[in-house]
Order: sequence, then structure tokens, then C-alpha cells
Amino acid sequence: MALAGADPLAGFAALLHGALGGTHQISETLVQTTSLLFPSLAVAFAFRAGLFNIGAEGQLVIGGLCAGLLGAWLTLPGWLAIPLILAAGALGGGLWGGIAGTLRARFAGNEVIATLMLNIIAGLFANYLVVGPLRAPDAAGAETAELPESSWLPALVPDTRLSIALVFGLALAALLAFVFRRTVFGYSLRAAGDAPEAARRAGIDLARTAFVAMTLSGAIAGFGGATIVAGVLHRFNVALSPGYGFIAIAVALVGGLDPLWIVAASFAFGILQSGSLTMQALAHVPKDVVTFVEGLAILGLATRRIVATRSAPA
Amino acid sequence: MPAPALVLRGVAKVYPGGVRAVDGVDLELGAGEIHALCGENGAGKSTLAQIASGNLAPTAGTVTGAERVGLVHQHFELVLRLRVWENVLLGREPRRGLAIDAGAARERVRGLAASHGLDVDPDAVVETLPVGIAQRVEILRELARDPRVLVLDEPTAVLSPPEIDALFATLRSLARNGTAILVITHKLQEVVSHAERVTVMRAGRVVLRTLTGDTSIAAIARAMVGGELPALAARTPRATTAAFVARDLAAGDGAHALRSASFEVRGGEIVGIAGVEGNGQSALTDAVAGVLPYSGDMTLGGATLAGENAEARIAAGIRTIPQDRQTEALVLSWSICDNVALGDQTRGPMRAGATLDRAAMRTLATQIVDRFDVRTPSIQTPMRALSGGNQQKVVVGRALAHDPVLVVAYQPTRGIDVGAAALVQSRLIEARNAGSAVLLVSFELDEVLALADRILVLFRGTIVGAFERADFDRARIGALMAGAA
Repeated sequence: MALAGADPLAGFAALLHGALGGTHQISETLVQTTSLLFPSLAVAFAFRAGLFNIGAEGQLVIGGLCAGLLGAWLTLPGWLAIPLILAAGALGGGLWGGIAGTLRARFAGNEVIATLMLNIIAGLFANYLVVGPLRAPDAAGAETAELPESSWLPALVPDTRLSIALVFGLALAALLAFVFRRTVFGYSLRAAGDAPEAARRAGIDLARTAFVAMTLSGAIAGFGGATIVAGVLHRFNVALSPGYGFIAIAVALVGGLDPLWIVAASFAFGILQSGSLTMQALAHVPKDVVTFVEGLAILGLATRRIVATRSAPA
Repeated sequence: MPAPALVLRGVAKVYPGGVRAVDGVDLELGAGEIHALCGENGAGKSTLAQIASGNLAPTAGTVTGAERVGLVHQHFELVLRLRVWENVLLGREPRRGLAIDAGAARERVRGLAASHGLDVDPDAVVETLPVGIAQRVEILRELARDPRVLVLDEPTAVLSPPEIDALFATLRSLARNGTAILVITHKLQEVVSHAERVTVMRAGRVVLRTLTGDTSIAAIARAMVGGELPALAARTPRATTAAFVARDLAAGDGAHALRSASFEVRGGEIVGIAGVEGNGQSALTDAVAGVLPYSGDMTLGGATLAGENAEARIAAGIRTIPQDRQTEALVLSWSICDNVALGDQTRGPMRAGATLDRAAMRTLATQIVDRFDVRTPSIQTPMRALSGGNQQKVVVGRALAHDPVLVVAYQPTRGIDVGAAALVQSRLIEARNAGSAVLLVSFELDEVLALADRILVLFRGTIVGAFERADFDRARIGALMAGAA
């Protein structure tokens, strides 16, 4: 912050005030936490299976798009519409992740490159749809029609944007922690990620595992996109994600790929996200400083991993 | 005593973390002597070799003469895609202007090879060479630097008996010309046959130093382990249960392929595959394990084993002790307890519904630790923290845990110390006594001779000989391993 020419103490104070200064600020921070939590769990899920899914962003966007389209079109009561909308998000994200999974499973394609390119395709495709054929006639910007109010996710705190999506996220984190630690499926997944050759010889189908892991990872991210549409924006627009899918990589790594720690890491990054605008306004610290700090976190963790690998006994 | 070519005084090496790999060793190598260095794994031999050759700085003590030491590595450090002369002169090629003078280089390598009686074609590409020849290239590379001392780390581990004889003939001629030779080996027969002096290390210290003429194999072995070796488990008469049958089995490609093998392994017998590494053994065991495509037929207890399907093989009762325990058998970052279920994660008793039965896993891990004397602080210790021998005990323990119908053991005692090796061998015999069929691949002919009820000799992917235990003929089997008709 000092580097950016501002008073660091004032900057921190503004950041914390912006993130935790009152009911409104705290709930906004938790909105950011929720939005980060799903793609972070998605990244961690693939990572545990030895796959580097940097496509959570694209899966999130596609999930949000599917949810937005279905949501605007459905006129069912909420108790029926909301599950369908969220399922559409998971399905869309799962499909998007599944493409990379198929490439990996069938053709040994590199999932990093595949998901990176699918991100670009997802972004541009969604952009095209909302600027062109699917733009709502009455919309001010590039966005689809609004969801009927009955299809909005119920608010957790009245008069805030914080919805029950946070509860879903926490439940998912707990579920994944159980899956990793206890189930045969989680055990096989981790074996494939931690020692692929030993896993193959133990009868675990690596291609199938890669496909399933990428699909489920995409579905988690897509579900997250749907919660943003149904809980926060109430429509799909191109500003759905300020890069949640990328920040999620840092969150997943900071959380040590452990679902429960990822909840904590999502909250920490949520503070940064939601406090950064206040910091910029009050202390004149550019909000890019936050992006910079997040970048440093990734760099630091990546370096630590490399050093740990290099110095491990042969 | 000739003038010493290399002198180590009070040498110690403490690794970060406090492991004292070498703890105050004195060693003198005389010009023209062949000196053997023995010890169990972890005794500090390889560390000492690294210090002697100047590749590793000792924590304490002095080394005199290290600048003229050549080190021949256990795992060859050659550029496989390059030719022999390119490898031998790598980094020191004769030049003509900016270009390498290939003609002069070739002649220099040819001359070097001829003067030491090492027959190698300078233009051969290294990856096409058999291991015995590749080792000559590695030796030539060191000789090109005109060393006064040559250190060889386990040079015979991958060689057939005739290749071993050829290697020692070369070493003897080098020694006659004044080179001091230090050979690290755990094959004690070689020590007494070829070395003049022997130094035995245990836990980083020298525990025996003597002329080989004044000692015996048994005395060296006792010094290595610090006591008597446990005897192998007794063999009971052969049980006859379900048999594994392979017909016209072929797998893999290239020089190490399995070309054609028909054989059977009956329940209650150990069939040993004798052969030099690289004659089709890994293709054979991988095909049986269901992790390599193959042609031909396999049946177990009369039922056909179809396709490349590891899961189905495991379900049928086939358990493997793979070649590389660290990448093929274990998840090193996991605990012992988590590793014991690997391979059995989809069936009882390790599985309970959709979850793993943690209690059953803990019980099994505890049983393996007890029965195989695994030295570990706890069953929750990560695999990575265990020594190679203890890791191998877990792998073998897991393979034998659920009364396997067929056990495929690939070099089950490779790289582990004699005490652990004897224990693993005894457990394999006990599995055989209990009715398991055991297919044992080993490059140590002595191990095959000690354990097998029948021996099949594998050469260039084909079974070239079969022997019943009553008719084991060491010389004949050794000759077949080397390709004699």
C-alpha cells in the first residue's frame, strides 16, 4: 500500500471497515465468500484427483448462463423452480468441465490448456448471447431478463443480498470433507491424484476418474454460478464474475485443498474482495492492491510447493 | 602396503535433520588394490562413495586424493540418445574450430577401449546397448579422465554371471596398471572371489576391516547385520490348489518385450523366473497384473482372465509386489494405515458400504507392522518417512494379507538390507506353504535358487529352460541366462 502511495494503516482500516463495519458490510463480505466458496471447492475437488482445473471461471459462467436462461423462462412456484435453476447451473458447469474431462480421459489432452481455452469460449459465448439474441428487450445493459421474484433464493439476512446459498456452500464443504476422508470414491480419487501409477495398479480406472472429477468439479462451479444468478443478480449478465474462478485457485491452495479450511480461506478472500472498494474510496489505495496481494499468495504457495518437492528425499 | 591413492581420515556426514549417515570413518585405498565395501542399506556406503569421489562435502574429517577419483554409478548416468563416444567424451570433446572433431573423438575412444580391453563400438547409440555394455561405457567415461581411483557403486546388480566375470577381469587389469578400485557390493561371493581387502560398515561406522583371505562369507554377513541371520522359513510339502496357467503369452514391445511364454504356477509352489534384467520380466508381470496389453491366454483356477483389467485380476485373487514400490505400490504421502487398503478399496473387509472400514484398516496395518517387523513410530506415520526396506515390508504384507490365490513378486528384496530380505523371503515361503501360487521374478540367481520349487529361465522374452528343484544346476542356469543355447 505504501508502494502505491497511500497510508497503509488508513488503508487497512478502510479495508476492514468496508468488509466488517456493519451488518450490511458483513453480509456483503459473506456474499463474496459464498461466490468464492463454490469455485474454490471445485478447484480443490479436481486438484485432489491430480487435475489442475483452471476452468472454474468458465464453468461458473456457463452454470450462471444456464440458470439465468432457465430461470427467466420458468414460471413455476419457487420450491420447484429454485432446485431446477440450481440443477441447470450444475448441469451446465458439469457439461463444461466434462468436455475437458473427456479430452483428458479419451485423448490424454492436457486439462490445463483445455480448461483455459474453454474459459475463453465460455466468456465470449455468454457475451455474445447477452449482447445479441438473448438480451432482454427492456434491459439497460447486456443482460438476460430478470428471474421472477418467486425464483430468487431466500435471503438469509433481510434486506441484504446474502442468500441461503451460503448454507448450501457450507453443507457442500462438509459433504466433500466427508467424501475425501471416508468414502471409497474419495479414497480412489485421492489415490489417482497422489500416486497415479500405484492407483492404476490398484484397479482404479484413471481415465474414468479424470472424467468424473472434471465433470463434478465443473458441476460444483456451475452450481456456484447459478447461486449468484438466483441469489445475487437475479439475472445473468456478463459482470457475473469478477474472476471468482481464478481467485478460487488461490483460495483452494491457501485452504490446503481441505474443504473446511477452504471455507475459512474463502472468508479471508471475501474480506479482501468486499473491502477493497471501500479502501479505494476512503484511503485512495487502488483496489488492484488486493489483486496484487492475491497474486503474491499464489506465487508464495507455488514456490513453497516447488521447494518442498525439490528438497524431498529421493 | 602400496602407496595410498586415496585417504579418508575421520570422515563424518550429518544430513540436515540430524541423520549421521557416516560417523567417523578411516579408509585407505592402495594403488593397485581391489577393495570391497559392504554393509546393509543405510549403513552409509553410498554416502561414503560420494564423499570419496568429491561429490559431497563431509561434515568432518579430511579426504586426500579425491580429485583423481572416478565414480561409476549404480544407475548409469548416460545420455541414452547419444553415441558411445559422445557419452565418453561429453564436455571434453576434441574440437576443430567451433565444431567437434568427431573423427579424432572416435579414435580416442577406440584407443581408450582397446588399451583397457573393453570391447565397445564407439558409434553405437547407448540406448541400444545391453546393460553390461552400457556399464563399460560408463567405466570408459571415467577412465577418460585418467583417474587414480575408481569407485563402483553396486556394479554387478544388473549383470548376468558371465558379465560379472568380464567386469572383474577388467577391474583386475586396471588394478595391475596401478588404479585403486573400490567396489560397493552386497554380493559377498564376489567380495571373497575378487577383492583383496574388505571393509564392512554398519550404521555409519566401520565394523570390520580385513584381508579377504583371512575371513569368510559368513563372517562378513555377521558383521553386516551385527549378529546371526535368521534362517529361512521351512518349506512344507507342496499343496495342490488352483493353478495359474499362461498360454503363448506375449506383451510389450522393443528389446524388453515378452515374446512368448507358456507356463503354469500351481497353488502351493513358488515358480522362479531367472534372468538378467530387461529380458521380458516386467512385461510378463505387468501382463499378469492386468496393467499391460498382451496377447495369449491366462486362466486362474480354470477361469479365464480377460483383458487388461487390474481390478478384475485383484478381484480374482491376484496380488502383486511391483517393481518400483515408491511409484507403483504406495502413495508415499499417505500413512501406513491408508496404504494398506489400496487395491482392496472396493471389496471387503476394507470396505463397508460406500465408506472405507477405518477400523479394519487399522487392524490390518497393525497386523502387518507386527508380523513384518516394520520399524515405524506408528501406523499413522507417512510412508515417505519409512526406509526403503520398511516400505517394502508394507507392500509385501499388503500383498499377502488376504490369502491371495496368486502372488506376483517382482524383485521383492531389491534394495533392502539382508535382515529385511530374509524376512520377506520367509513370508513368501509361508504364503506358498499356505497354498498360494507364487510367481517370483528376481535378478539374483541365489535368491531364485533358494526360494523356487521350479525355475524358468527367461532370455530375450522367451522361456529357454525349466528346472525342478531337485535338478537345480547353477552353472547351467547361469549359462542360459546369458544366452547359451
